[in-house]
Amino acid sequence: MNIIIRLTAAALLAATALSQPAFAQSGPIKIGVVTPLSGTYTPIGQQVRWGLELAAKEINAAGGISGRQVNLLFEDEEANPSVAVQKAEKLLQVEKVDFLTGTVNSGSTLAVAQLAERNAKLAATTVSFADSITTDKCSPNMFRVNARAEQQSVALAAWLAKEKPKAKVFYLGPDYEMGRSTVAAFKSSAEKGGAQSGGEVFAPLDSKDYTQYFGQIRASRPQVVYTSVAGNDTVRLLTQLQDFGLLSGLTVVGASGTVTSQNITAIGAAAEGFATGVGYSPQIDSPENKTFVAAFRAANKTDPDLYGADSYGLLFAYKAAVEKAGSTETDKVREALRGLSWQTPQGTKTIRAGDHQAMQPMYVVRVTKGKFDIIDNVSSESAIGPDACTRF
Amino acid sequence: MSPIDYLQFVLAPQVVNGLALGVAVVLVALGLTIIFGMLDVINMSHGEFYAIGAYAALALGAAGIGFWFLLVLVPVLMIPLGMAAERLLIRPVFDTKDRHVTTLLVTFGLGLIVEDVLKVIFGANTQRPPTPIPGASEFFGIILPNYRLFLILVGAAIVLGVAFVVYKTRLGAMVRAAAFDRNMAASLGVPVSLVYAGTFAFGVGLAGLAGVLLAPIYSVFPTMGRDFILLAFTVVIVGGMGSIWGAVVAGLLLTQVQALASLVISPVWTDPIVFGTMVAFLVFRPQGLFGRLGHA
Repeated sequence: MNIIIRLTAAALLAATALSQPAFAQSGPIKIGVVTPLSGTYTPIGQQVRWGLELAAKEINAAGGISGRQVNLLFEDEEANPSVAVQKAEKLLQVEKVDFLTGTVNSGSTLAVAQLAERNAKLAATTVSFADSITTDKCSPNMFRVNARAEQQSVALAAWLAKEKPKAKVFYLGPDYEMGRSTVAAFKSSAEKGGAQSGGEVFAPLDSKDYTQYFGQIRASRPQVVYTSVAGNDTVRLLTQLQDFGLLSGLTVVGASGTVTSQNITAIGAAAEGFATGVGYSPQIDSPENKTFVAAFRAANKTDPDLYGADSYGLLFAYKAAVEKAGSTETDKVREALRGLSWQTPQGTKTIRAGDHQAMQPMYVVRVTKGKFDIIDNVSSESAIGPDACTRF
Repeated sequence: MSPIDYLQFVLAPQVVNGLALGVAVVLVALGLTIIFGMLDVINMSHGEFYAIGAYAALALGAAGIGFWFLLVLVPVLMIPLGMAAERLLIRPVFDTKDRHVTTLLVTFGLGLIVEDVLKVIFGANTQRPPTPIPGASEFFGIILPNYRLFLILVGAAIVLGVAFVVYKTRLGAMVRAAAFDRNMAASLGVPVSLVYAGTFAFGVGLAGLAGVLLAPIYSVFPTMGRDFILLAFTVVIVGGMGSIWGAVVAGLLLTQVQALASLVISPVWTDPIVFGTMVAFLVFRPQGLFGRLGHA
């Protein structure tokens, strides 16, 4: 009896396995989303999910990709590279997904790129900033549709050079990989634009009190402070600067994750005038963006941020590539994605063939009366920087 | 940079800012050292009681209650909470063989629960009450926010008040007696059980008061309890477990070390210096600077 059951089961398994290749080209297209659904980065994962779900709904309602429906499969990566690899492996091996996306932590994106190479599948990030993903650690199987750290600093530095020419800039970053690389990137962009350095300090992550660095800041008499602290650290840094009367006459600029919808209320008046370079803002004044913001708001009761918008845009890039390639096969889709131009809420984006980095116009936004306003923009060509990927 | 510039803009503000931070640390450590000194309980949830105080100030402040009244109201509201925690969580495990381990684990668990409860009620985003005393004053070119100045003065007043109660009043004598020899104190008519619950609640009330005072400077979020707790424990160990003066001296000293060290070396290395001091004390002078309260 037991043997019969086992044989039947084996036969059934073999049958499903055999029928799969034929089935895969006609059934729904499966897209695996490995994104943080718990932990510190939950709000980012939430935007990724909302953006992808809205795009999938719209694509499916309009007949899908080459007539095939899009199916999103979510896994929680907990913003942890080792978890991301496990979950991505599961999606590739068990669920046989055609495409992977969703990673937030830059380490997760780099790890998933290697995994995608081993499995001969393609992946894309819509969030990770680290320049290395499309420069020295680029992968033929990884694409990035969002703006990387250098694009953000180029835009901000270009605006700063106009607003405060030859300014003396003081740099304050959190003391870990992200903080040091953002400060270095912005410093090099700003100094190309004529800025001078007034000194730099790297404070431990989760610092309680930034006042112990105020002596150095005051003594160097900067016109501009650049910071890439985030979350609660920004609340403390900016309100303490305000309490100590340091904000008057000072322009504070920073990385795009420094002041967000999550901490802007707590920062209050101390956030006024804060400027940063971003690849997306819900304020972009175009019909496409207005339609997107309205649809996003109707579905999720909140505005999209850059993560939501870039994730939304990604599915349309994949759709365009698959339809151009006439297949979901890795090599054909890769060729189709290289050099692809497609429409997104923030305008036309183009994937540079040499490093798989999307080129896009960049914006400088500044906090006015507690809300971000667009005050400047930089063309995609001037923001992109040289192609530093040598692997392909 | 000229030496005058260095003195005026760097060194002097650093010392004064370090002092304000030191007062904040002493305020948090005060309740901790009293609970440890008197009850022999390592209260790992002290940071979360500090967070409860801050959230209470935020919520009641939003309901229209003034800051000055909150300074009294919040600690008073914290007392029944502390009493309940002592009765329900500390008391049942107090007489077990491994009192230190069990109370440490129980209060650690309580802290984790409180943190999540605060997140469920108030959300994960950072909030901040308005600064009760805005503006800044200038002394010889050193700019200090008025509220920090107020914090230094109030902190000194609170420490003196607590020290007066513990060392100079009959109530304080009863508490110290109960801490020194519980059976002897009981046989002399000290209501030991009530004294224990009251002392724990007093420590919790002090944590709440620290929460009200520090919320405008350090902002309010569910995991804020973790902020000061390591430094506060260090202060308690270096100062002498349970010693009020020890906590004051160690708190001010260690924050000055931190503030001045960050001028010469990367700020990240100031934490190892502070915790290294703690380890050195544990190895070479485990009783701390001043020795243990009631056991001197």
